[in-house]
Amino acid sequence: MLAYLLRRLGLALITIWAITVVTFIILQLPPGDFVDAYVASASAGGASISAAEADAMREAYGLNQPLWFQYVKWLGHIVTGDFGRSFEFGKPVIEVIGDRLWLTVLLAVGSIVVTWGLALPIGIYSAVRQYSVGDYVFTLLGFIGLAVPNFLLALIIMYFGLRWFNLSVGGLFSAEQDLAPWSWAKVYDLIWHLPVPMLILSLAGTAQLVRIMRANLLDELRRPYVMTARARGLPERKVIFRYPVRAALNPFASTIGYLLPFTVSGSVIISVVLSLPTVGPVLLRSLLSQDMLLASTIILLLGVLTVIGTLLSDLLLMWIDPRIRLGQLR
Amino acid sequence: MPELSRRTLFSALAASPAAMELITSTLARAADLSASGLVGEIQGPTMITDPAQWPKTFSEAPMLAELVKAGKLPPVEQRLPAEPMVWKPLNEIGKYGGTWRRAFTGPGDGENGNRILSTDKPLSWSADGNKIVPCMAKGYELSEDGKSYTLFLRKGMKWSDGAPFTADDWIFWFEDIYGNPEIVPTPTPEMRPRGKAGRMVKVDETTVRWEWDVPYFLFEEIMAGDTGLGGGQAVRQSGKISFGGYSPAHYLKQFLPKYSSVEVVNARAKQEGFENWVQMLHFKKDWELNTDLPVLGPWRSVRPINNPIWLLERNPFYYAVDTAGNQLPYFDKVQFTLGENLEVINLRAMAGDYDEQERHIDLGKLPVLLENQTKGNYKVHLDLGFAGADFLLQVNQSYDADPEIRKWLTNADFRRALSLGIDRDQLNETFWLGVGTPGSPAPAESMPQNPGPEWRKKWSVLDVARANTMLDGIGLTKKDSDGFRVRTDNGERLRIQIIAVQAFLPYPKLSEMVADQWRKIGIQADVKEMERNLAFNTQRNNSHHIFIWNNGGTELLYLFPIHAIPVDPVQAFMGPLYGAYYASGGTQGVKPTDENWLKIWDLFTEAASLKAEGRNKNAQEIWKILVDQQYGIGTVGQSPAGLGVRLVSNRLGNIAARVCNAQHCRTPGNSHPETWYFKS
Repeated sequence: MLAYLLRRLGLALITIWAITVVTFIILQLPPGDFVDAYVASASAGGASISAAEADAMREAYGLNQPLWFQYVKWLGHIVTGDFGRSFEFGKPVIEVIGDRLWLTVLLAVGSIVVTWGLALPIGIYSAVRQYSVGDYVFTLLGFIGLAVPNFLLALIIMYFGLRWFNLSVGGLFSAEQDLAPWSWAKVYDLIWHLPVPMLILSLAGTAQLVRIMRANLLDELRRPYVMTARARGLPERKVIFRYPVRAALNPFASTIGYLLPFTVSGSVIISVVLSLPTVGPVLLRSLLSQDMLLASTIILLLGVLTVIGTLLSDLLLMWIDPRIRLGQLR
Repeated sequence: MPELSRRTLFSALAASPAAMELITSTLARAADLSASGLVGEIQGPTMITDPAQWPKTFSEAPMLAELVKAGKLPPVEQRLPAEPMVWKPLNEIGKYGGTWRRAFTGPGDGENGNRILSTDKPLSWSADGNKIVPCMAKGYELSEDGKSYTLFLRKGMKWSDGAPFTADDWIFWFEDIYGNPEIVPTPTPEMRPRGKAGRMVKVDETTVRWEWDVPYFLFEEIMAGDTGLGGGQAVRQSGKISFGGYSPAHYLKQFLPKYSSVEVVNARAKQEGFENWVQMLHFKKDWELNTDLPVLGPWRSVRPINNPIWLLERNPFYYAVDTAGNQLPYFDKVQFTLGENLEVINLRAMAGDYDEQERHIDLGKLPVLLENQTKGNYKVHLDLGFAGADFLLQVNQSYDADPEIRKWLTNADFRRALSLGIDRDQLNETFWLGVGTPGSPAPAESMPQNPGPEWRKKWSVLDVARANTMLDGIGLTKKDSDGFRVRTDNGERLRIQIIAVQAFLPYPKLSEMVADQWRKIGIQADVKEMERNLAFNTQRNNSHHIFIWNNGGTELLYLFPIHAIPVDPVQAFMGPLYGAYYASGGTQGVKPTDENWLKIWDLFTEAASLKAEGRNKNAQEIWKILVDQQYGIGTVGQSPAGLGVRLVSNRLGNIAARVCNAQHCRTPGNSHPETWYFKS
């Protein structure tokens, strides 16, 4: 078991190193650099940057150094925990992400809880009461949830929120509270703003998980051991929850691998549409403006979280499912 | 219960007839500009330059009075310059207080605040954008021979931290910032007329003089324009650039090795988390990021731009007062709230979440913006621009990848035919809701560089028959089975590529409409929608046929020529290789084969040594050639498409019916937000 763990950890480290290389190369692929992007965006914003000014900027950011040099320098910094300064934000990358990280995590954990909280009971209900009216209703809703792009839903909800309820549009705080120091009023304000983005974020995931749960459970319910349990007179509730549901839970555990990076990137487009102060929009912005240090740090973080998440979900699966556990140890 | 068929569902979802009627009627009203009430007369506060009319006693905002009482701030009389700027507000003396709520799109949107601080420019423009007027400096003098330019500062003027602002701050910039190649590696052409470096000297505490080896009359315009030297500290010393002409010497000296040693400043840089002292300096002199930096504008950052909220607070040492002696600005704070995308910003604007917003407001949303006016308690103003083209087809004259394409792009009659094949009225109705002016790229008739009203329509009207005749005349007679003209070398269809970016207006969609219109003249245009950065790179590599942008700023041709003439080494849309040739003095790039360019460059270069009248005459000559040659094909212009759809809360006072919407007016800076106030 320990050897297995160590081997997985070693592999994870190598994977992470490979991620840094790929990240750096991919970020260099689009033509131009941060200064080009800056000049282009300045033009679109009604400012004019002269060639002399662009030269000065390139010098200041060290963008005229060779690529390998930039990579080695960057790698040398990150192993010491120094992720550098974001070009565009003009403050340490850690601060740029840090400010938004905990809100992102809050939102993501919230939406995962909502996803599971909805998907689990609905999935079980749909499977146990297959082809009932309720099953059809949930199936219909599930397919709608899968088919409607989340950002569209976000736009529609925002519009009607404004039109009918005069709700403030987007963001996680109202204008009065945004600048205020933390207080109960601000927490209350945040709680008031959370449900809509949480619901939108969790909707597609819920629909998907309901389908998976339903299908898996249906498979299990037809197994002979279920019939045996029923034949032996076990109460129906016990029959379902003790055995088939546990067996059908595997997909929940394996989604953790994706859920961890999801807590950081969120769903980028929804966050942009809803103007949420999370990491997602920063990732998009840094890629567009070719803000190298910021973009590579976020992507690296995503990579690391995916690796850790996969590791965690493997361990979790081993714990939940004796078949996997015994298979590994044998 | 009636059955819910798909059809009834759809009709229920479609806009109700009443709503449709409202939209059509608003559109009809918007089309009739004079009757719409959306476009007013250009107005602004009045500058009082006669000292006899100046107020004798001064007062200040309550929040500052408290600080004075607490002994944290000197009294207002001591904070104001002996020669303050005196404004007679547009309508009435305002009231202090309140926070001006606005939207911004993140740290890349610094220009949003730079423009509000633009009274830190040495000189500025009258409300109509036609005349140079005093600003942070009280005046200037240009010698008869044009070889020396003297700037007069206000006596007793102070930085926002209370330190005196003097000629030394200018000399400090010239010698220690601009003069240090580690900070400014490439000198600006603005300081080098005809390639000869100029000098800056201190005459006395409040007088600075520039000396040139050649006549340089254009410098007066440069010092007022949105340029490296005339742009002011806020815009020219943020974002890692270091122009602007002056810097707070007393504050920045501590970050320069000259005043201690490289080791000392580098050690401090490391300690504060910067790689070296240059990076630290770039941070320290950036008002958007560094809240400690002394500034001259009406407000200063108290919460930097890299937050979800960018907050400005009044500058207690601001140099302007109203006619009653109240120190400006009236607003206590300016608060920018982050909108990650423009849809959110426009939606919030309709909800009345912003007190004044002209930036990031989409002209295409005008009907909905008007519909929500009452509910959002705001009024919409349209500020028409002065530039001739808000959608300009810039034809690459130095294209060389395909000789056949090059042959046609550089053929004047080909370009004229393309221009005659565009239905500008259709574009105007569809994308500008009829509020633009169709025609050539020449600047508005009200601008001094306009070549004359007859040049608005020259080659710039719809004439399909004539366009076809011209195309036949130059040898493009053969067509393929679909009716498109074919190349003369291999008989395949002639395909002209248009590169369009999503900016200001939906350029890709506009281009598609033009491509559609060109079918009638047998020209196939392929519209390529590109991400902004990629498009600019394609342009830089000389690989575009036609590049779409606007020509905002060209109304003052010498200050912002890049969308009219190829003179910039990196942004020369009508000929990147020609731009490099001009900028390098002939050592790089390619010399144009088209004599017209040489003539235009001569006129352009000569203008720097001419007085205003001569300069404007040269500009008119240049415009005549440009319009006649159709290097840039104008479509619709003088519209509010860029920064011209202005939403103003009904609670604000001293708001102009129309403001100068132009690059050099630093919209909304030139309409002087420091004189606006909350009526209730």
